[in-house]
Amino acid sequence: MNRNFKTTFLLFHKPMTVAITFFFLLLSFSADLSGQEIKWKRDEPLTQPELQLFHSPHVVDLPTATTLKKWDLEFEISHRFVPTLGSGIEELYGFDGPVNMRLALGLALSDRLLVTIGRSNVSDNMDLWAKYKFIQFRHEHWPLLAAVKVGIGWNSQPQYQVIADRSSTDSHNFQFFGQLIVNTLLNKKLGIGVVPSYLYNSDIRFSDRTKDTFRLGVYSQYYVSPLWSVYMEWNPYISGYNLLVEQEYNSFSYGIELETGGHFFKVFLTNNKFLNSSQSLAGADIAVKDNDWRIGFMITRLLRFSR
Amino acid sequence: MNYKKLILLLTCGLVSFVFSGEYHVNKSKSNLVKFISDAPLEDFEGITDKIDGYIYWEGENMLSQSQVYFEVDLNSLDTGIGLRNRHMRDNYLETDKYPLTHFKGQLTTAAQSPDNTYTVSAQGVMFIHGIEKEIMVGATLSPVDDGFRIQSEFIAALTDYNIEVPQLMFFKIDENMQLKLDFYVKRYDKNE
Repeated sequence: MNRNFKTTFLLFHKPMTVAITFFFLLLSFSADLSGQEIKWKRDEPLTQPELQLFHSPHVVDLPTATTLKKWDLEFEISHRFVPTLGSGIEELYGFDGPVNMRLALGLALSDRLLVTIGRSNVSDNMDLWAKYKFIQFRHEHWPLLAAVKVGIGWNSQPQYQVIADRSSTDSHNFQFFGQLIVNTLLNKKLGIGVVPSYLYNSDIRFSDRTKDTFRLGVYSQYYVSPLWSVYMEWNPYISGYNLLVEQEYNSFSYGIELETGGHFFKVFLTNNKFLNSSQSLAGADIAVKDNDWRIGFMITRLLRFSR
Repeated sequence: MNYKKLILLLTCGLVSFVFSGEYHVNKSKSNLVKFISDAPLEDFEGITDKIDGYIYWEGENMLSQSQVYFEVDLNSLDTGIGLRNRHMRDNYLETDKYPLTHFKGQLTTAAQSPDNTYTVSAQGVMFIHGIEKEIMVGATLSPVDDGFRIQSEFIAALTDYNIEVPQLMFFKIDENMQLKLDFYVKRYDKNE
């Protein structure tokens, strides 16, 4: 034991051995700072952007589950030319008017919540609605979004002679609606949506009792390129009230969409002359089988006042 | 041989290893990466603070065994409007496939000015949209308390990186994207 200690002491006592030992001690101490061992590692997860499937928050009358970036504004102007294509050249296929029109302004209160207020000229309707996206399912082949949209429509000047003397704030002038929106996008090209919808007080002419209507809206949109897409939308009646004069048919629309960095330009043919959620959910005024369409358009501009 | 001198020599040599510098992006600072594009209707710029990476050299010579690696999280780029962000991600950068862009290389020149700022150039590989391209970039390194402020500007031609340049009105943007970087690095501390 004593001999071993002496051997070890002598070994370290030799200057050359001490130098080599010291060298390796320092080398091990500083090894973590040598150029071959970079210590950097990514320590934050990469950004996961909000999942959006359809490009626009709307198809025609039905909503998509798409929302906007927080604090983005959406300004909308929509027209439905009341004369149909069947009016011919005399009415310039509807462009001579009159027109039903709507102006709206939406604000994204969060990346998932969009609130919009709008005004349209049929019955001087004001509408206020909110859409909230509550499910995002990321999948390579079957991504899925689900959202709800709820809102109120106030027909402040109903255009029905039978209730001409009714106060504009009469409770029967108000309509309420709720929609569940389920969307998918296949191969980043083909969007499909289903929108079960409920409308309360479908026919504002009746003051003795309210009416409600259930519809099961479906739509599809094919993105031909980053610029162009085509779409169709059908909103068939399921149950409830369906006898509203001039709105007893299922709404059907189809058209094209031009998309830019901040705009959507939609031009379409439709059998429905109404263009806000509550009125259009009540029904269309032309039967699809009559094959008579009217021209409509919707232009939306996305704005932002600051980042 | 004088072994005391040998020990001293080895120790001094190792001191330079001990002071070798690895600097990481300081995320507590206001870092900025800006992509600027000229477009006919309205210029737009994408900005983010999501830059990460490191710069390393040995000893006091910046060019000694230097390594540079910086990456930018492209999904974090904000052009101001959500729809335009989506266009940039989906149609051009394809960030679902290539979520990061990075530059990896080494310092090739370094000159110190009287105000103690370093003007450097780095040669390396720029990776964007799945394409790697050898480039040379210049930068200035200004000493700050615990590291450096790094500022750099250079041009990236989108076609060099196989990014389709939209030519249609409303969509058209300049083929050359100007990149501006202004960020901070601090000395790596293994105790942090």
